[in-house]
Amino acid sequence: MSKYILTVENLRKKYGDKEVVKGISFAVKKGEIFGILGPNGAGKTTTLEMIETLRPIDGGRASIDGVDVAKNPYEIRGMIGVQPQTPGFQDKTKLSELIQLFSAAYGERVDPKTFLDEVNLGDRADSYVENLSGGQKQRFSIVAALVHNPKVFFLDEPTTGLDPQARRNLWELVEEVRKRGISVIMTTHYMDEAEVLCDRIAIMDDGNIIALDTPQKLIKDLLSRGFTKKQHVEQANLEDVFIDLTGKAGLKE
Amino acid sequence: MGKIEIIIAIVLAVGILRRIKHRTIKDTGVHGKFKKPLSPLQKKFYTIWVFFIINMRRLFRDRLALFFTFLFPLIFLFVFGSLSHTSSISLSVAIINKSHSIYARQFINQASKLKTLKIDKNVTNFSTANGLMGRGELDATIELPASFGANKQGLPSGLAIVHYTENNVQAAQTLVSILQAEFQSINTKLVRTPTPFTVVSKETNERSLSTFDYTFTGLLGFAILGAGIFGPMNVFPELKKMGILRRLHTTPLRVWQYFLANMLGNAVTGLMSIAVMFVVAILVFNLKVVGNYFELALFLAFGIAMILGIGLALGGWAKNERQAAPLGNIIVFPMMFLSGVFFPRYLMPEWLQGVTTYMPLTPVIDGARLIATEGKSLLDLGPQLGVMAVWLVLVYAIAFKVFRWE
Repeated sequence: MSKYILTVENLRKKYGDKEVVKGISFAVKKGEIFGILGPNGAGKTTTLEMIETLRPIDGGRASIDGVDVAKNPYEIRGMIGVQPQTPGFQDKTKLSELIQLFSAAYGERVDPKTFLDEVNLGDRADSYVENLSGGQKQRFSIVAALVHNPKVFFLDEPTTGLDPQARRNLWELVEEVRKRGISVIMTTHYMDEAEVLCDRIAIMDDGNIIALDTPQKLIKDLLSRGFTKKQHVEQANLEDVFIDLTGKAGLKE
Repeated sequence: MGKIEIIIAIVLAVGILRRIKHRTIKDTGVHGKFKKPLSPLQKKFYTIWVFFIINMRRLFRDRLALFFTFLFPLIFLFVFGSLSHTSSISLSVAIINKSHSIYARQFINQASKLKTLKIDKNVTNFSTANGLMGRGELDATIELPASFGANKQGLPSGLAIVHYTENNVQAAQTLVSILQAEFQSINTKLVRTPTPFTVVSKETNERSLSTFDYTFTGLLGFAILGAGIFGPMNVFPELKKMGILRRLHTTPLRVWQYFLANMLGNAVTGLMSIAVMFVVAILVFNLKVVGNYFELALFLAFGIAMILGIGLALGGWAKNERQAAPLGNIIVFPMMFLSGVFFPRYLMPEWLQGVTTYMPLTPVIDGARLIATEGKSLLDLGPQLGVMAVWLVLVYAIAFKVFRWE
């Protein structure tokens, strides 16, 4: 059995004349948290959407656990969980009903309570999504993407727009997901997030992967190339101050 | 269907709705214990069922949606119903009396008792009368000259003059014959002459269609258009904007499952809204339903599903509301005006009737009327069902082809 859950070979995507993904290859290990970084327009989201079967693959191939994405899109959809950039849920629907709805989309029957309890939303089972806070919504969105026990979990910029506490909560959640044996593939614009969470990262620019390694290795490589930065070491930064003043990160809310 | 049956039906319906609202979804046990695993095919339909139930509950929590589903068609029913309900001929006339005789006063008394005449008592001179007739607010004016009621050869006599404008020839003729009949009965009382030939009118027991029958089934068509086309046309772009469909796209949910869940929901809410319209029409407007209710419901469910296909195609295709609205109007307005929603098709020239027979909504409205008020059965509705089936295949083929998740 392969140690890789996802393999991508020479993947390409064109919009009209413009090639936005230019033949990239990478592989994600089982149980890994894999980050894709890069400036806007680098092709991160397009790459994810091709692997998620949401966009047709123009060239190359991707496979999850040996299943070809282009050939078996419905089988793939049953194997992956997707947390989109902006989690949208229909209004006037209880959380418990939404969990039932999503599991039903996979043909599964689940007990909503156990899933909601996992993310400390058990007591909100009868609330509507529109009445949740931003952090609660993110937590709910993650658990809604996991109702069918997927093998791979995709998150597209999951912490954009969240406050520092909610971000840290989300990091903990992503760690929990990995502990269940689910591989995580995420994009982010926050380097601290990538450094804390990701086992390995790929940096994309202009449709190509220009670097792929562990964050530590990438930093070491940079330093070994003679990079220096004005040193200004303090024992805390502004975010530490913020967290200290406004309350510890924890699943409170 | 009598009023008692209607009350029983309402009680039952409320009971069923309360069940849907409060019951948790079947087979979803506590703590993940389920009765038995589902087969792959059962899973596909379980998916549809859950989507249907949860979306139904959502509808009943949404006041705006409830208003548009249930009250909006009722408002139209009350407006158009009361317009066509006063359908017996009634002429609005003014009487200008120049005579002082007792007979003139008796005549006016007598005339104001006639149901067919609506006498405007505010009009006392010709200049106001002519003005009102010119604007079409009065159909005709009756003049009683000063000589009206004067004695001639020992008997009272008189000449009533009917004034009308060129646009009211028919009304004037009707009025003249009404007055003639009135005078006739007065004359026979005054002069005892034998009347060898007379005519009386007698209503037959044969049922005939009233204007309201056409109005009502047209409004059923209006309700079906509203729920089937305007509903998805507004809701789907909204779901796309919020990324809800995009999220569903990442699941193995198939488009046909999603469509079927929508179809089921639309058919149930559509039938409920139509049932309410029937209740009001029967209780308030004395609609007489002679057909079989089960066949009628079956037929209407088919019609709703077919019309919904148009809405699914429009809403499924449109990326946003701005895209959906213009195309939707191009499709809906011809149906509203040519399929018999607001005026019956028999008023149209023959060539137009021929063309509009094949529009999607026409057979739905015609079929509903044929079953409800003429007592036809589904077996008699071959032509209507045929046209509807062709449209059903066509619109769903298009809807599947153009559907976009985002």
